[in-house]
Amino acid sequence: MIKLETIHIEEMRGIKKLDLDFQKQTFAIYGPNGSGKSGVIDAIEFALTGQIGRLTGRGTKGLTVGQHGPHVDKVKFPDAPFVELKVFLSDLNKSVTIRRMISSPKKITVVPEDAALLAALADVAEHPEITLSRREILRFILVEPAKRSEEIQALLRLEDIGETRSTLNTAQNRLVTAYNEADALVKSRKSALQLHLQIPVMKPALLLEAVNKRRKVLGLPEIDELKKETKLDEGLVAGVGAADLNKESALRDIQALVDAEQKSGDLGKKEVQAIVADLSKIEDDPSLLAALQQRDFVEKGLSLVDKAECPLCDAPWPDTEHLRGHLKEKLAKSEQAKKIQDALLKNGSQISAKLVQFTGLLPPVAKIADVLGEKDFSVLISGWKNKLEVLKPELTSVDKIRKLKGQLEGDWVAKPENFSATLAGLDEKLKAKPDQTATIDAQTFLTTAQVRLSDYRDALRENETAVAAKAVAKIAYDTYCTVLEEELNALYKEVQDDFGAFYRALNGPDEEKFIAKLTPTAGSLSLDVNFYGRGMFPPAAYHSEGHQDGMGVCLYLALMKRLFGEKFSLSLLDDVVMSVDSAHRYEFCKLLKTHFQKTQFIITTHDRLWAQQMRSAGLVTGKTSIEFLDWNIATGPLVQSDEGVWEEIEAALAKGKVDSAGAALRRHLEYAASMLADQLGARPQYRADGTYELDDMMTSVLTRIKKLWGKAAVAAKSWKKEGDEKTANEKIHFLATCDGAARVEQWAVNKSVHYNVWANFGKGDFEPVVNAFRELMDCFRCKDCGSWIYVVPRVNPQSLRCACANMNFNLIEKKE
Amino acid sequence: MKTLFQQIGEKFLSRLAEAKEIDEKKIAQLRVLFTDGKRLKAEELVKIFSGADADQIK
Repeated sequence: MIKLETIHIEEMRGIKKLDLDFQKQTFAIYGPNGSGKSGVIDAIEFALTGQIGRLTGRGTKGLTVGQHGPHVDKVKFPDAPFVELKVFLSDLNKSVTIRRMISSPKKITVVPEDAALLAALADVAEHPEITLSRREILRFILVEPAKRSEEIQALLRLEDIGETRSTLNTAQNRLVTAYNEADALVKSRKSALQLHLQIPVMKPALLLEAVNKRRKVLGLPEIDELKKETKLDEGLVAGVGAADLNKESALRDIQALVDAEQKSGDLGKKEVQAIVADLSKIEDDPSLLAALQQRDFVEKGLSLVDKAECPLCDAPWPDTEHLRGHLKEKLAKSEQAKKIQDALLKNGSQISAKLVQFTGLLPPVAKIADVLGEKDFSVLISGWKNKLEVLKPELTSVDKIRKLKGQLEGDWVAKPENFSATLAGLDEKLKAKPDQTATIDAQTFLTTAQVRLSDYRDALRENETAVAAKAVAKIAYDTYCTVLEEELNALYKEVQDDFGAFYRALNGPDEEKFIAKLTPTAGSLSLDVNFYGRGMFPPAAYHSEGHQDGMGVCLYLALMKRLFGEKFSLSLLDDVVMSVDSAHRYEFCKLLKTHFQKTQFIITTHDRLWAQQMRSAGLVTGKTSIEFLDWNIATGPLVQSDEGVWEEIEAALAKGKVDSAGAALRRHLEYAASMLADQLGARPQYRADGTYELDDMMTSVLTRIKKLWGKAAVAAKSWKKEGDEKTANEKIHFLATCDGAARVEQWAVNKSVHYNVWANFGKGDFEPVVNAFRELMDCFRCKDCGSWIYVVPRVNPQSLRCACANMNFNLIEKKE
Repeated sequence: MKTLFQQIGEKFLSRLAEAKEIDEKKIAQLRVLFTDGKRLKAEELVKIFSGADADQIK
């Protein structure tokens, strides 16, 4: 499990230099649009994974971490941008500092360097899904089922799983093709052996009967049983009959070829026609052709990706994942092309199998021609066989098949000229030879039978291997598919239940009957949700945009919970709940606090109210939240926080920069007054445009706190809590006498006047103002935990307290 | 922290081992392919699937 401690960012995205202290706690960053909040998320993600999600994936063509990760003014200084992230690895109970530079995103410097820490960090780097932006949320909800499946698959990184399944399937298909060829070879050799033996079926008894008949002629012992090691010509003097022909058998071989060659024009006719038709379709549709060519090309490229450089064009990419994602996206766009591709390859495989059977008839006849002195014809036959066999590998890819189109449309079998006549001549020549003596007949019969039996056995062994390999591939593919389906179905079932529970928790009684249904079907994932008991509908059918936002984040949380369980320790939520209304946001805080107690969330928002609500709800504190006031290209985010503001003012005054000190004090007071007004329930004069001036806000806060301390004093007295009563009265006295409180209206005047006045102060004049406000602001904070005080509950408050509860004053008087 | 991909890979291999339909040697070779972090290639699978079983008499 990992928690973030601190981060130091330099020259990265919109940030020049920034330090944040996350304290291993949930942390909120508030700031207007363009103030640099997402830059922090980018930096964390980059430090952990070497990637920046916003620069990868759909719609990011042309964007790279190397070129667009640095601050815009540092693009030409790749060594300048870097992130230093200190994290705590709870499993190892160790803190570690990671430093990663934009110039070498794959390399991290880790202190302390330790194998276990490096392994844990490598594990974390595998999980870029810890970040979620509003863009991703909408991609889960407002999409078609097939797209949703893709988006969730991307979140879960299911593309790797899909690719593995596809690779297992490809392996299976290749082994099916290999089996088809092996099977065809068995049939061809079996047929050749049967033809020679003149037996109708391949049975050992029939085989031995034919063989023993010849062995008897030669006075050789009969063979009783056909074993693996049995040699049919055993006992013959070596070489006898090997160079000669068995006339009767040779005549049958010639006849078999005559029959086949006469029909050779129809060889694989159906498959060839289908291929030609598909190829014509491709030629008629240039876009299909382009898709198919691209598919073939991209598939090749995808198989060759092994570094962050395109194997097809050498273009550099940020990383291999980005490149693979790009190539896969291209493949997904050509489904029609894929169907044609599959058909072409299937028909090609069947033609190959038929070729194996046909070419199996040629070698015996080539030998006959050779023995009969017809060397040219023998060479011609062997040449034809080779030409036909050359076609087999040309039928294994679309690109190669396309090149065969002209050949397939014509006489692709390309029977040599005068072949039939020459073959007939050979037949005549053989027939004209005198009949062999019984002895020669028997000798040549046995030697030929042995050769053909050996060939048949070889083919059987190859086929056995092919059958086994095909079966293993099928088991592996089927098992992977089964496991995949089981895991995903279980995951989706659990996710839908959690999703429904989270969404009900987020919306309270308003949606107490809410349920969701995730239905995975053939590559898509439907999501239907209940709309106020009226039935199940797609999320966008009736639910508002805000509700859909809520659904998105609930679905994400449900997925993360099921994927990582207790290990879900860090999540970066970049402006994800902007449309959820204020009432539901408290529930959202509660959801995170109750269901994800072990998870550190880094939450950015451009909504000030939401930022305040996170503090009020106790999801974050003053110390674990920060405000980015503004941004400019030279400085990056202008940060407001409780921490360090007084030091910043002192430093400015030490340099005589009263205007800078004045601006910092003003920013801090505006921030603190606004937050205190919210936390204490102050009532400044209402403004429809929400632009409250500092003097209005601070005056109302002072009025409110005086009233609250008054109530606390009365209540303490009624409960006879002398210590609390004394403290409350001291606070009342302080507020009545401190210079800051007394001169708020004078000093905290509207911005234009105020700035002018402070800017014109001398250092000696302004220091008392700073000291007075510092003393006043300290009055609103706990001395122990440093948090700003607040009331609970927010309506009709019963106590005034701080985050650590060391300050906890009852506001309710004891009833007599 | 295993990814879903790793979880499915592990379950797949243990399911194959339980079923005992595939030779242990092949499963060991598959385990190497599934855990080395490299992209799976069809030709590597074909080679494993086509290999002789450890206890096969040749």
